[in-house]
Amino acid sequence: MDSLVGFVGKNYVLIAGDTNAGRSIMRLKDDFDKLVPIDSHKILAKSGEIGDGNQFCNLIIRNVSLYRIRNETELTTKSVAHYTRRQLATAIRKNPYSVNLLLGGYDKKDQKGSLYYLDYLGSSKKINYGAQGYAALFVGSILDRFWKEDLDFEDGLELMKKCLREVEKRLIIGTRCFLIKMINSDGISVVEKVMINSKNKNEIEEEN
Amino acid sequence: MFTLGSVLDNDFKSTIEDFSFETEFSTNQLMLPNIEKPFEFAQSIIGLEKDLQENENQLMFHQQKKEERKERALIKGYKGTTTLAFIYEKGTVVAVDSRATSGQYIASQSVQKVVPVNEYMLGTLAGGAADCQFFLAHLGRICNLYELRNNEKISVAAASKLLNNILYSYRNYGLSVGSMICGYDTRGPQLYYIDSDGSRLKNSLFSVGSGSPFAYGVLDAGYRWDLSKEEALDLGRRAICAATFKDSYSGGTVKVYHIDENGWVKISDDDASELWYRYEEKEKKKK
Repeated sequence: MDSLVGFVGKNYVLIAGDTNAGRSIMRLKDDFDKLVPIDSHKILAKSGEIGDGNQFCNLIIRNVSLYRIRNETELTTKSVAHYTRRQLATAIRKNPYSVNLLLGGYDKKDQKGSLYYLDYLGSSKKINYGAQGYAALFVGSILDRFWKEDLDFEDGLELMKKCLREVEKRLIIGTRCFLIKMINSDGISVVEKVMINSKNKNEIEEEN
Repeated sequence: MFTLGSVLDNDFKSTIEDFSFETEFSTNQLMLPNIEKPFEFAQSIIGLEKDLQENENQLMFHQQKKEERKERALIKGYKGTTTLAFIYEKGTVVAVDSRATSGQYIASQSVQKVVPVNEYMLGTLAGGAADCQFFLAHLGRICNLYELRNNEKISVAAASKLLNNILYSYRNYGLSVGSMICGYDTRGPQLYYIDSDGSRLKNSLFSVGSGSPFAYGVLDAGYRWDLSKEEALDLGRRAICAATFKDSYSGGTVKVYHIDENGWVKISDDDASELWYRYEEKEKKKK
């Protein structure tokens, strides 16, 4: 039921997530932030059970901080992805965390953004674009068609909104409100909190 | 090479223990089978004669719907109640019903579904009564210890996080807790929803229990941040009343509490059915 969409552009990574938190058929909270910052230049976008997501993301964030304190050096996105995958893989046969993640980060050393797809079973893959949840069904083909290497920020944002519009239009479970965050050399910034109303002739109302 | 360690490394254990709340209840000591989801396994244990029948016809057993199996399971869980809480400009309002059901039987009409954690924090009960009462009382103990150790009042965020961590460690053991931690601290009125699945959510209004959709209807329609105290209490009372009217697992009396900077106060305790007809008369008089 959670929708996460992300892709890599020219020196940035855009990640969007819906802002619903619910229990069975009921929406408990409609401004829930699923895009959790690991450090200044990495976001862990979580989907799945709320409790597992909270606890697992806390585990990753605290251990990354501990590493930074002990060794006085920041981890690269690749290292964090590998560490996260390992935690998920060792847990799956004991007490599994039912969280599916998108890890996006910007590495100052390479001056490039990267995006990783992580699964509750312990799979991990570096991707250029991808989605988690039901959104993946609708958004996968749009990204296949329109994503290009080194998209500018404006083109990227337009592509992201195209994806979110599709999710709102076709997913029967109502998700109108999405939060879009960007990671670039300056760090993490909230781009927009978008509320999509496809009945309004495909217009998007922006709430900042 | 440098390796990432878990927080409870040997070097850090002594300092962590000073600040942690590792009591005999924080670590898992329930004796249940060492499998992934002990409670689901327990639910699959159906009565003996029926079990023999199932063994003869394994295919039929697997094709049986999950709900049917749950019906006949020896260990069941119930969540019949309505509790709600919301924060507004002047504080926090908590309203609950007081019915406890055991299947179709009304076990009690006068259950205390609000448990005081300390003078300025209340916890609500939904789900398993025993689970909620125990863990909320335990939370009260922990909060008291925190105040004694640190010479300051514990924040609602911290208290809810403590309960969340304890419940998360029991997440596959079949506990049924749908509690709200409501209070007023230095950050103003606060409200957290804590679940036995391990979720912890912060929001300005919540309703929990079988009657919660009905309560949400009235609550969402009338809620504003700038309500007056009278309006807010009335909204809470009406929402529970509406839920008891529609939901058969909710009823008894409607209890309303208010929390502000001076602590919590019990405002009213009205019979749910009488309340409904009182409101009806009021509406008639208006016309």
